[in-house]
Amino acid sequence: MNSVTQAKDKDIREDLSWSQINRDVLASLERPRATYWVLFALAFAVFLVGLGCEAYQYDTGLGVSGMNNPDVWGLYIATFIFWIGMSHSGTLLSAILHIIHADWRKPIYRFAEAMTTFSLMTAGLFVAVHLGRLWEIYYALPYPNERWTWPNFQSPLLWDAMAIFTYLSSSILFLYVGAIPDFAICRDYATGWRKTFYGKLALGWMGTDRQWRNFRVSYLVIACFLIPLAVSVHSIVASDFAMSQQPGWHITSFPPYFVAGALYSGCAAIITLFIILRHVFRFEEYMTLPILDKTARLTFAIAMVWTYLNCIEYATVWYGDSEVAKETLMQRATGPYSVYWWAMNFLGSVLPFTLIFKKVRANLSAMMVISLLLNLGMWLERWMIVTPTFSHGYYPWTWNHSFFPSLVQWGIVFGSFGWFGMLFMLFCKLVPSVSMYEVKEMVFHRKLARLHASQA
Amino acid sequence: MSLDATLNDWTKLRQTHPLPGSHPDLKWAMAIDLDACTGCNACVVACYAENNLPVVGKEKFAAGQAMHWMRIERYWNEADENAPEQGAQFLPMMCQQCEAAPCETVCPVGATNHTNDGLNSQVYNRCIGSRYCSANCPYKVRYFNWYNYPEQVKAWPEPLPMQLNPDLTVRTKGVMEKCTFCVQRLTDAKNNARTEGRPIRDGEVTTACAQACPTSAITFGNLSDAHSQVAQKWRLQRVELDKDKQLKDIDGSHPGLRGYRIFEDLRPYPSVMYLERVRDTQA
Amino acid sequence: MNNKRILGLFNDFDQASAAIRELRGADLPHLDWNEVTIKSPIEHPDVESLLGVRSIPIRKYTLLGALLGGGLGFLGIATAQGNFFQQLKGGKPIIPFPPDFVLTYEMFILGGVYITVLGFLISAGLPTRMKSDLYNVAVSGDQIGVMVKSNAHCVDAVRGIFERHHVLSIQEEVVK
Repeated sequence: MNSVTQAKDKDIREDLSWSQINRDVLASLERPRATYWVLFALAFAVFLVGLGCEAYQYDTGLGVSGMNNPDVWGLYIATFIFWIGMSHSGTLLSAILHIIHADWRKPIYRFAEAMTTFSLMTAGLFVAVHLGRLWEIYYALPYPNERWTWPNFQSPLLWDAMAIFTYLSSSILFLYVGAIPDFAICRDYATGWRKTFYGKLALGWMGTDRQWRNFRVSYLVIACFLIPLAVSVHSIVASDFAMSQQPGWHITSFPPYFVAGALYSGCAAIITLFIILRHVFRFEEYMTLPILDKTARLTFAIAMVWTYLNCIEYATVWYGDSEVAKETLMQRATGPYSVYWWAMNFLGSVLPFTLIFKKVRANLSAMMVISLLLNLGMWLERWMIVTPTFSHGYYPWTWNHSFFPSLVQWGIVFGSFGWFGMLFMLFCKLVPSVSMYEVKEMVFHRKLARLHASQA
Repeated sequence: MSLDATLNDWTKLRQTHPLPGSHPDLKWAMAIDLDACTGCNACVVACYAENNLPVVGKEKFAAGQAMHWMRIERYWNEADENAPEQGAQFLPMMCQQCEAAPCETVCPVGATNHTNDGLNSQVYNRCIGSRYCSANCPYKVRYFNWYNYPEQVKAWPEPLPMQLNPDLTVRTKGVMEKCTFCVQRLTDAKNNARTEGRPIRDGEVTTACAQACPTSAITFGNLSDAHSQVAQKWRLQRVELDKDKQLKDIDGSHPGLRGYRIFEDLRPYPSVMYLERVRDTQA
Repeated sequence: MNNKRILGLFNDFDQASAAIRELRGADLPHLDWNEVTIKSPIEHPDVESLLGVRSIPIRKYTLLGALLGGGLGFLGIATAQGNFFQQLKGGKPIIPFPPDFVLTYEMFILGGVYITVLGFLISAGLPTRMKSDLYNVAVSGDQIGVMVKSNAHCVDAVRGIFERHHVLSIQEEVVK
């Protein structure tokens, strides 16, 4: 190994001092400037649009969404799956890469984990919005009552409820437990209400060997649970479709297909937030270009997995025996939704090939645009799963029903991005978005490795 | 307590359905003769009147948000212009009350279940409107209340509320509904029969659609009663409730058979048998 | 008798571990090794192992939580299905195994994660009041602390060892 390496090829500078790490990250938690408040107000305004549309829909009935018989599910379910999918980013980075000791995840996994939590909270909104009688949503919870009525445990929608509850609470616990040492740092350097706030959150953490020892094992164990949980959650969401009998849905490869799509959109979202946070908080030392490079390459790999599963779905339908399934597939490609279907295939399978080029991976504006377009492709994928099957199902009487979401649906989908933005912005100012203690570990171990390499 | 009950009934709780003999006393079924059907829509109107269905108006109907539990589907065979009905074929379609209904498993709150007398029940009070049941129905015979018809859309302006049937509710928005084989009439008949200590007689109770049909195309009754009209029709056509392929389709050896069920190969085991139109193939 | 605490802050792990090694070698008569702790901004399993073998009981909690979660989950769901008026749905058995398996799996993970977190809090002794222990904010920065709780004579010896290993600062207090 050439001991004289360019600074820009390294994931992180090994001679970063720990106190500088503290300083840089804690600076991001300082009192926000005017730009922050403007952006927050913008996110709030976007959220209000969604809230207004939902208020109208709640009052008048779901008919204003433009849905009908047979198109009983629309953008709400599609966007719900999109947000659940995006939540897999955190698990991928936090848990999977942790288990294989890929330490380049250390500067970026904290905000990815936060993204997981907030995506799940946003997905929960869509469950509520999509229900006809939202005020009775608690019927789906298994609570003891005098009539001994329980929800229907056979329903994939109920498995969704249980799985997402498990995933959300486990993610929050994982995020919180993993941040305890960082809250201790914040507590030590803060004053006033912040000191009390972080003091409570840090639970009196003092970095003793007893605390670190137990922390290390707990973190690993929870990560080991979180990986099968993430896979099972999105497989269960896929079961909403795969366990029905509708053509275009009743496909056994749906669970892995959905999980691959989730990892894909999660990775793309990580790239988007990476570029934003790096710029806004001046995290160039931590969210380095080599790490972006690795994330982009990971995204490409997952894109190829998704492309395979996508194409294998088409192949199995094409070579299969079900005429209706074949017709439904052809209708996706040539019918009223063909523009969106082809766009989804292009954005999902062709666009990732731009990530092969190092020049593209190193260009921040290009990566920003590409990551947003990849996520657009993934959103279109979810929509193209839901609606075309209704427009060409088994029953001929239901064909030639054109369905396009009304402005109310678009408004609520739009508003959900505002909600996510608000939550994420709150997070950035209250919780260190770069894990300080893990970056210190990364620097420490790389320094040690470099020392051994130069001695050998 | 509940653990004991679960262990005691374990065999019963693990059985699948339909099994021969699973409805020994009462199984409501229908037979619809498409040769007799003229497409007059009297059954549709009767259903509206009997079951408090709102008339949604031209715009909402065109948007696909109609509430007709019984619908007459028109299929056109343009080559058949010389026939009296100008190539039109009519199919009355309503909830097929499937024995293995795909809608029942997927409701998250258990608002739709299978009753002991073979109906697919819809519990309006429990429904939270997730619409998964409609998504999974192959026939798309489930209708969702997209608006608040009684109070906001004012589907029954005065004095129409006097016409509403007091034996069942008027549904509000957010609730799924579908044909129930006029369960309010069936419950009434069952109560009367039980009070008088006798089984239900064939023809004692019928659905609104069967009652209104001018050509008696719809036959309704108890399939478990071997002497009922509907059971005789099913038997004549060699159609059995718990099979997914009937004699008519297995081979061409019984050309006279006209009875079939729609989407039988999806195995929902529907309770409605249709009788094909008699076609003069030699002319 | 063990009423004094001393905390020495070092620049890096090498100096801290050298100090601990000398402490081992010194074989002080009244030193209880359970009362020696390291406080650091990051973990370092090798240096921690110098303090002796200390158990990590987390995995027992995990096993208990996972089994309880899965077991109670299945029992709860099966009895609920068997008792909610025993509703027939879709021709499937009233207690079907595929849905029950999915939910049991989720509850297994739920139980495992929740009880692991509980186990972490119990084993690490969190939350704890900071006033009851010696602490320096430099520990969350870039310095490694070694803390010993012992009697006055022992603490003097420890102070000497610390000073020989370039200790940056020393804090002492009398424990009530």
